[in-house]
Amino acid sequence: MKEMKADVIVVAAGLSGLAASIAAAENGASVLTFEKSSTTGGAANMGMGPLGVGSRIQREHMISLTPGEAFRKHMYFTHYRVDARMVRDYYFKSGDTIDWLMDMGVEFVGVQRAFSAPEDTRAYSDGEFTWHVCKPEGGGVPGPRAATSMTKKMTEHAVELGVEFLFETPVSKILMEDGKAVGVLAKTKDGEEIEARANSVIIATGGFGDNPKMIQEETGYEFGKTIFNFAIPGMKGDGLKMAWEAGAGKEPCSMELMYQLPDNMNHFILDGAFRQPCLWVNRNGYRFMPEDQIGNTTFTGNAITAQPGSIAFSIFDSKLLKKYKKKGPDIVSHVHPHDLYDHFDEQWERDLAEGYEPIAQADTIEELAEKAGIDPEGLTAQIEEYNEMCAGGFDEIFEKDRRYMQPIAKAPFYCCRQNVGAYGSLGGVKINHKTQVLTQDAKVIPGLYCVGTDACNIFGDSYPFILSGNTMGFCLNSGRIAGENAAAELDDFEY
Amino acid sequence: MKITIDGKAIEAKEGQNILDAALAGGVFIPHLCSHPDLEAKGGCRLCSVEIAGEAGAVPACKTEVRDGMEITVNGPESSKVRKMAMELILATHPADCTGCPKYGKCELQSMYQYLGVSAEGWRKKSRSVANDDSNPLISHLFTRCVRCGRCIRACQELRGVKVLDYIKTPAGIRAGIPEGKSLEDAGCRFCGACIEVCPTGSIMDQVKIMKEERSYAENIVPCRSTCPAHIDIPRYIRYIKEGEFDKAAAVVREKVPFPETLGSICTHACEGECKRGELNEPVSICRLKRAAGANDSGAWKQHVRKDAATGKKAAVIGAGPAGLTAAYYLAKKGHEVTVFEKNEKAGGQCRYGIPAYRLPDELLDREINTMLEAGFTLKTGVSADSPRELFDQGYDAVLVSIGTHQGTRLPIEGNDLPGVYVNAEFLKQARTGTPLPVGEKVIVLGGGNVAYDCARTALRLGAKEVHMACLEQEEQMTAAPEEIEEGRQEGIILHAAHAFLRILGTDKAEGVEIQKIARFYFDENRKAMTELVEGSNQVIAADQVIFAVGQKPEGTDKMELALTHGPYIQTDQQLQTSMEGVFAAGDVVTGTKSVIEAIAAGRKAAQQMDLYLGGDGDISEHLLEEEEPSPYLGQIQGFAGLKRVEPEVAEPSERAKDFTLVEQSMTCEQAKCEAGRCLQCDLRLMLHRPKLWNEY
Repeated sequence: MKEMKADVIVVAAGLSGLAASIAAAENGASVLTFEKSSTTGGAANMGMGPLGVGSRIQREHMISLTPGEAFRKHMYFTHYRVDARMVRDYYFKSGDTIDWLMDMGVEFVGVQRAFSAPEDTRAYSDGEFTWHVCKPEGGGVPGPRAATSMTKKMTEHAVELGVEFLFETPVSKILMEDGKAVGVLAKTKDGEEIEARANSVIIATGGFGDNPKMIQEETGYEFGKTIFNFAIPGMKGDGLKMAWEAGAGKEPCSMELMYQLPDNMNHFILDGAFRQPCLWVNRNGYRFMPEDQIGNTTFTGNAITAQPGSIAFSIFDSKLLKKYKKKGPDIVSHVHPHDLYDHFDEQWERDLAEGYEPIAQADTIEELAEKAGIDPEGLTAQIEEYNEMCAGGFDEIFEKDRRYMQPIAKAPFYCCRQNVGAYGSLGGVKINHKTQVLTQDAKVIPGLYCVGTDACNIFGDSYPFILSGNTMGFCLNSGRIAGENAAAELDDFEY
Repeated sequence: MKITIDGKAIEAKEGQNILDAALAGGVFIPHLCSHPDLEAKGGCRLCSVEIAGEAGAVPACKTEVRDGMEITVNGPESSKVRKMAMELILATHPADCTGCPKYGKCELQSMYQYLGVSAEGWRKKSRSVANDDSNPLISHLFTRCVRCGRCIRACQELRGVKVLDYIKTPAGIRAGIPEGKSLEDAGCRFCGACIEVCPTGSIMDQVKIMKEERSYAENIVPCRSTCPAHIDIPRYIRYIKEGEFDKAAAVVREKVPFPETLGSICTHACEGECKRGELNEPVSICRLKRAAGANDSGAWKQHVRKDAATGKKAAVIGAGPAGLTAAYYLAKKGHEVTVFEKNEKAGGQCRYGIPAYRLPDELLDREINTMLEAGFTLKTGVSADSPRELFDQGYDAVLVSIGTHQGTRLPIEGNDLPGVYVNAEFLKQARTGTPLPVGEKVIVLGGGNVAYDCARTALRLGAKEVHMACLEQEEQMTAAPEEIEEGRQEGIILHAAHAFLRILGTDKAEGVEIQKIARFYFDENRKAMTELVEGSNQVIAADQVIFAVGQKPEGTDKMELALTHGPYIQTDQQLQTSMEGVFAAGDVVTGTKSVIEAIAAGRKAAQQMDLYLGGDGDISEHLLEEEEPSPYLGQIQGFAGLKRVEPEVAEPSERAKDFTLVEQSMTCEQAKCEAGRCLQCDLRLMLHRPKLWNEY
């Protein structure tokens, strides 16, 4: 058993753990950061950038949103069912955090919003310009994973500040003595055990998106059946389990919903090709939302969850497919390949031949419904009504944007089942606005902090897409708050 | 010679390339197709650098150093080449990494993080290839292939197995197996080098064999991590393959002092985890250990450890595998050790529990005598019942390792009739040459390995008809499958899933009434529950009835130690009991387990007692010179299908007559042949993992 010692121990080096490590080290603490993978950044390696309100860049871009306004918006979105003080401290810090990152050398291309609502619905669901998208090295258009340049700068800065990283060394337990967190137990990849002690331990392990058992127990969804979430390898709920074992109180966990195809990585072309405002129905054959909203992954994920069996079906006909192939998709996503429809036939034929279960093709609507598992009568009636409305140029049911009113008439017909997806889990460990871990009856557990996704209890039932970049934003700012508080505690005890 | 990279002076060796020199000197240059164990190919262009006085960018991995060379990593030309190279790699690699098991341990991801370029300027083309999970060990997900060729060089040149190659597809060139063959048909040796060097998630271990509770190294070599004593299994098997039996025995002896005993009777949990077992049958790890032990000339003895005398005295109560092992290592650590054994001979269950047809006396004597050379005193026929008295006699620490030698008699009608025996006593009497009388018909109650020992011993003592009855279904029985099979061959009549209602008879046992069980389970209080089939009662006539339903420790109640679950000694994680300086290990702590677990416990007890006596707790030994195994495997036709070699076993009709050994040790030729089936999973751990940018 190897023994180690530091002022602050950070459990995992994802975005929140990096922020915590840097903040603690900047304030004079010696920091040991344990990470079970061999790289830093965790789930943030898939992201593009964090939220900030009131940053230098926003002022330069004349974006007037203030932290106070963002706070109000967030609280309306969550109906005041979350910790307002935590939300307040987060938004009021978030602009400064962007400046803090820029001082580290992180560059942003500018501020964007993740979702721009159609004109009619702008008042309810438009995104704010809060998303600070990271700039690729050497310029160019940022794509998925753009935030890795931020991870790199943060990692380099942490090393400069003397943060010691232990890679491929997962922590297995929080050491508790007299009700106080005093260190951790960990194990290297070669099996050597480590007992590390510190004044504070900050848990930052990123939730349980890759743990089907916890997903079922904590949220009721069944992975691979009622939910097909991003299971970012390693997100096993280690931090939540360790925190609860150490006496932490529990907050309700949720899944950060969106939607996607089962095994979408291997059917990525179809994932993109069917994400269009064509005809969307539920298992009974009925439409359930204006399809012009399907670009809003949060609302669409929520809507699918509310349908029978938590599934929906996206349907187009040969004429629409021909149009997509010729003119490109109606809705362009920044995740899927540009040449989606060039590869559609190849992937479609192969997936049909291999019996990829969510898809179906048929020459009649009845046959399509039978194959896909939709009620044939319901679907036939729905398509009749829909096609009539298309001919009339107006969606009398949902008032969908008339540009997308394109009939389903020419065989063969194509159908793809859409499932509920999620970016990962949210929340679970009870904390206060200083990110100190609390017991169930809200008593502080000395020496223990929890940040990032493990403790993100402020989103209520849905990801607040109206304030884009929120997941990474909360990770960064909660991490920073914890690091600063943990370092500040040292003054009381050590000097 | 000296070179400078970005103004930093670095010492380089003649003939070295710039990349190797830079990395060795602590300067990171991005690279993907280069790997420390493979010859550089210069394909990925990520290591492009500029050299003063030369135009353009050159790949650092293909450019030899010259004295005084001035190198710039991020010059305008080299940066441009590198950026474009990375963008093109990303343009064809799936954009979404979230479903990829390599996430967080991926070199491409790390390289992307370092370079931070965006592929958005290019038309992104996905080259999807269907996943191939048909092999139980290796998963192919070539949609993620970036054509760096590392796996191909590892397979072709480093290992000489020549299975992987570049293959042409309509979507372009990628790594794969030519002619669409399966790994098995192509002659794969399943060494995993391709997995180890792949910088993306294109070639991976099957997820199901990577257990979360084990570390990476433990997952890669599961036999070694599963063995309670962590014997370096692949290493000794490699020596057997090469015919180096002395070296193989030395490797085993680095962890356990009973190679041949274990090779004869070990429960071999290692074989259950052997990755070869996923292909066809596991390597015969246990019997290979016996072959190593049987062909050992004792060359390891010149390397044994013998520390200076410490002046401390330790007593061990009980000379079973746990006690002897602890005594052996404590003696090597310089302590004066005395082992007290109340029986006539040492060996514990190995001597008095396991029948001679599985483990003969001569073998056990030989191995125990070798252990005594470590210099400890063995007092047989001497009881020591009280640790406190031993302290009074001047001992500084005491180990209690008395095992479980008292058989259990179930509380059923007739259990005290003459002719009703219990396992421990029955086996011990048979072993010491004074067997309990056995008539024509015998029934054994119980379904574990000990029950088989009793049944097969009864046959050898002259019984004509031997029955066994147990509560479990055959698949749930705790006896090893090979034990059940050998018993069946010898004519033992098994009544699995039967309850024993009563023992019949007035003056002596005359039979047992049994009844079929519909369901057998443990309730929430861990109490055994049975549901019986109405009207399925039958009587098995028998002259003797033997209980083989568990054993427990004897005499622990008089030791002044805290007990648990009845007579078992309570210890903490360090095997320390409730009395200062008294330790306990083996079956007396854990309940009846295996010999290998007792040995592992004996090793742990020696470490903890050494610490207690002021030592450093290090009992490790190096009994042979460290040798680096050859990374070259070469080709073997039909390797995947090679059948397991079985040692010679005596005919059932012959062997059941007396206590002669049932199974012979493998011949050297058989052993070498069987050892050749090993996948050598440990070889891949000897490859060097490229350091990521964040580790410089």
